[in-house]
Amino acid sequence: SVVLAAARPPSPGMAEAEAAGDAGPGPGPGPAQEGAELAAVIGATVPTGFEQTAAEEVQEKLGSASRISRDRGKIYFEVPARSLPQVHRLRSVDNLFVVVQEFKDYQFKENKEDALKELEDLVKKLPWTDPLKVWELNNSLKKKKTKRKKHNLQSPASSEKLNDGGEEQGADQNNTNDQEDCAQNPAAVEPAGGQDTEKPQGVASRNGAEEEEVKEQSDVKDEVQASSGSETKAGDGQTDEGEAKVLRFRVTCNRAGEKHSFTSNEAARDFGGAVQEHFQWKADMTNFDVEVLLNIHNNEVVVGIALTEESLHRRNITHFGPTTLRSTLAYGMLRLCDPQPTDIIVDPMCGTGAIPIEGAAEWPSCYHIAGDNNPQAVKRAANNICSLLRKNENKDSSTALGAPLDIIQWDICNLPLRTGSVDIVVTDMPFGKRIGSKKKNWDLYPACLMEMGRICTPGTGRAVLLTQDKKCFAKALSRVGHIWRRAQTVWVNVGGLHAAVYLLRRTWERAEERRSFW
Amino acid sequence: KLGHPSELPPEPAPNYEGDEEFLRRVHHVLLEVEVLEGALQCPDSGRRFPITKGVPNMLLSEDEA
Repeated sequence: SVVLAAARPPSPGMAEAEAAGDAGPGPGPGPAQEGAELAAVIGATVPTGFEQTAAEEVQEKLGSASRISRDRGKIYFEVPARSLPQVHRLRSVDNLFVVVQEFKDYQFKENKEDALKELEDLVKKLPWTDPLKVWELNNSLKKKKTKRKKHNLQSPASSEKLNDGGEEQGADQNNTNDQEDCAQNPAAVEPAGGQDTEKPQGVASRNGAEEEEVKEQSDVKDEVQASSGSETKAGDGQTDEGEAKVLRFRVTCNRAGEKHSFTSNEAARDFGGAVQEHFQWKADMTNFDVEVLLNIHNNEVVVGIALTEESLHRRNITHFGPTTLRSTLAYGMLRLCDPQPTDIIVDPMCGTGAIPIEGAAEWPSCYHIAGDNNPQAVKRAANNICSLLRKNENKDSSTALGAPLDIIQWDICNLPLRTGSVDIVVTDMPFGKRIGSKKKNWDLYPACLMEMGRICTPGTGRAVLLTQDKKCFAKALSRVGHIWRRAQTVWVNVGGLHAAVYLLRRTWERAEERRSFW
Repeated sequence: KLGHPSELPPEPAPNYEGDEEFLRRVHHVLLEVEVLEGALQCPDSGRRFPITKGVPNMLLSEDEA
């Protein structure tokens, strides 16, 4: 696993925390001393495989270096709390949380009861104060903020995903993998595929997680309700924090690893019990104010507080299919090809237009062209573009601001574009399962690569292609070695399927002059 | 062909990059005007490609491909 250079040294106002107790703590921000600015260590979940890309975005937009944990799909970085609005505008992250404490090498007791007791005892020793301040600050931001652009944007495209989301959920109920709670279980997942049905990475795990979490919350709730009157009294009283209102909370535990003596259910239940005891908060699995995260990945333990609404996010996936996540994956793919101002960027199999739309939003000084042969796809993409334009409408004037984006109905094998005129080709190749077929891919892939090679500028051009049919792709690529060179491969997880994103560079060799039609 | 024939010359003048007025007009036509219904016409073959609701259909027929 890759670990980037550590964040800049803590500022004078922040001491490294030394948590009392036997648990072997790692670094975390200590309580701010008087006059020091509130800072936060933020954890972000990102599409697996794109941790590096996300870290680059964080460096670029927030100026902070990131750590990539061994628990894939997560990065950590430190920012002043006042930067929270910018943190929320990151395009490569799915969910955010503020770290309460990280333990790099937590030694769990072998005996289940002991291990769980230790987790319970941990609660009162954790440095909750500053993270809770960050959580509060985040709340006030959420109230001001309008619905996120990408959440809105994907909705028109998402109605078609209704079935897929349902299938995903159903298929994943039988997750019996001992090694990992909230695991991904590719075999159980309905295969995704094709231009329109690219799954968000991690949908399987999220569904698994959802199932786990539901159990955990009800466990916590049952725990609380099953006890005698002490809880009800606590529910009416003031919290330790001195808040007038009693907060509601839930604990979500994700656990991965072979050597734990307990399940994520048990950990969430016991940890939750201790949290309830410590803060005198009320456990509530659906209407919670505070979502406490307990992430256990082998010996790496991270306690955090969620800053994004997990349930809302998952509700999207359940009803609308891959929406928000796809946007982060699209962003990651675009970033990989390093678009420069005035670059022409083409998605020749755009489906509902996720990639070009993300492109036009984030790289407005490039020109984005989307195309597809399927009339439904084109229609939906056009609708999505309209939504984007409406959002950009200047309310003061009657003219709508345009977007550097166009859509055309075309045939990938006969693109109406001049030879060598395109800087970047970026697309989600058909997976050959839901759309197309493996046999079709066999013929389609080489033809695509040839045509994409023709339109792409020799030498400086590049392509970023997502595909699950890696074998077919590798074979097709070997036939066009005179036009494309493989520069980088990112292994990603798209809806439980192991896919790959290939970054290709266009060689200097000129394509043959086009046959007569165009 | 958009109905602004008088505004744009048939071909770019030699130093068009410095001609701001020209650049403005080109920018307008390229990025600020959207054809909702109409057609694109190939200057060589004359073949017309219809534009419906802002989307050109450039699929070729069986015999053209």
